[in-house]
Amino acid sequence: MSDTQWPVFEVFHQQARGEPHVHVGSVHASDAEVALLMAKEQFGRRQACVNFWVVPADAITATAYDDVDIFEHGTDKSYREAYGYETTRRVRAQTTKRPRSLRPPEE
Amino acid sequence: MALTQYDSAEHIKGDARAALIDLLYRLGDDDLVIGHRHTEWTGLAPILEADIAFSSIAQDQIGQAQAYYTLLHELGEPDPDSLVFDRDCRAFRCASLCVFEKRTWAFSTVRHYLYDACKELKLAALIESTYTPLAKLTRKLRGEQKYHVMHGRMWISRLGNATEESHGLMQSAVDALFPHALGLFEQTEHSEKTAAFGLGPDEATLCDAWRETVTGTLTESGLQPPLDAEPIYGGRRGEHIGAMTELLDAMRKVHKLDPTAKW
Repeated sequence: MSDTQWPVFEVFHQQARGEPHVHVGSVHASDAEVALLMAKEQFGRRQACVNFWVVPADAITATAYDDVDIFEHGTDKSYREAYGYETTRRVRAQTTKRPRSLRPPEE
Repeated sequence: MALTQYDSAEHIKGDARAALIDLLYRLGDDDLVIGHRHTEWTGLAPILEADIAFSSIAQDQIGQAQAYYTLLHELGEPDPDSLVFDRDCRAFRCASLCVFEKRTWAFSTVRHYLYDACKELKLAALIESTYTPLAKLTRKLRGEQKYHVMHGRMWISRLGNATEESHGLMQSAVDALFPHALGLFEQTEHSEKTAAFGLGPDEATLCDAWRETVTGTLTESGLQPPLDAEPIYGGRRGEHIGAMTELLDAMRKVHKLDPTAKW
């Protein structure tokens, strides 16, 4: 029997202008326009949204999980992480401080 | 002559008030009843994605009904729950298009499109309503209404142009529903005043605009609009088709078990 399922489209959701589009799941749809209309209710009904992308799932080329070892670091590469910069230190300090600074004054 | 602007329920009296109340019942009852019919697809639509989208549209429609009933309550009518659960069948002002029981997916999507094409045109006019609370509410509803039309048009074009079977199902739904859709524009004893006071659109003008819009969509989708169809009236005066009592019984079933229960 032939496959009667509609093709799969991967759905990317953008919460505000300028924010990245984030992959949120997939929908079955006969074409891209239908996919957008379905994605709107599937993924946009509970959260803020300004934009959706849909991409045919078969347009995506992925690495193989069998090759997951390519992501391992054979030797210490911590120098790649931006620990050493003054800016990083300030950002980290801000992130830890922020929850308290955001509390309403009465607390 | 400049039209009077009515800023709130206290400011509208006499004929204008009666015309406004009639208009709000027509708006709310259409939305409630078609919304209820749409919910009958929840869990049963052809695919999961369609199920979620159509169920959301049903929720939108029932939410819009609640908003109109709230405006009615401000005008001294019973509260929204009483209007839904305790009102006599003959007091409802919905058009027969909204009342039919659920049949095929083609039938429901055609009904959905014919209805929402009309609702979108109504909202475009109601944004200028001289009753300020209605104009304000309309501004909030236009976004979701726009989506309803996009969604309805999508199904019309996809199924109208797909296989011979889907085309046949869609065309028979169009033929069966068109006279009832024309019933959306039935005049009431108040509707001329509704337009004269600038509260809402003139039904005949609205009907012409609707015919033009749906003719475009249907024709592009390979479907024939039966333009010489005779409208079927009655709903706006409370003369409903048989499916209306069955619908109200189903809608009120749980409520009737314990009308005093708090939800």
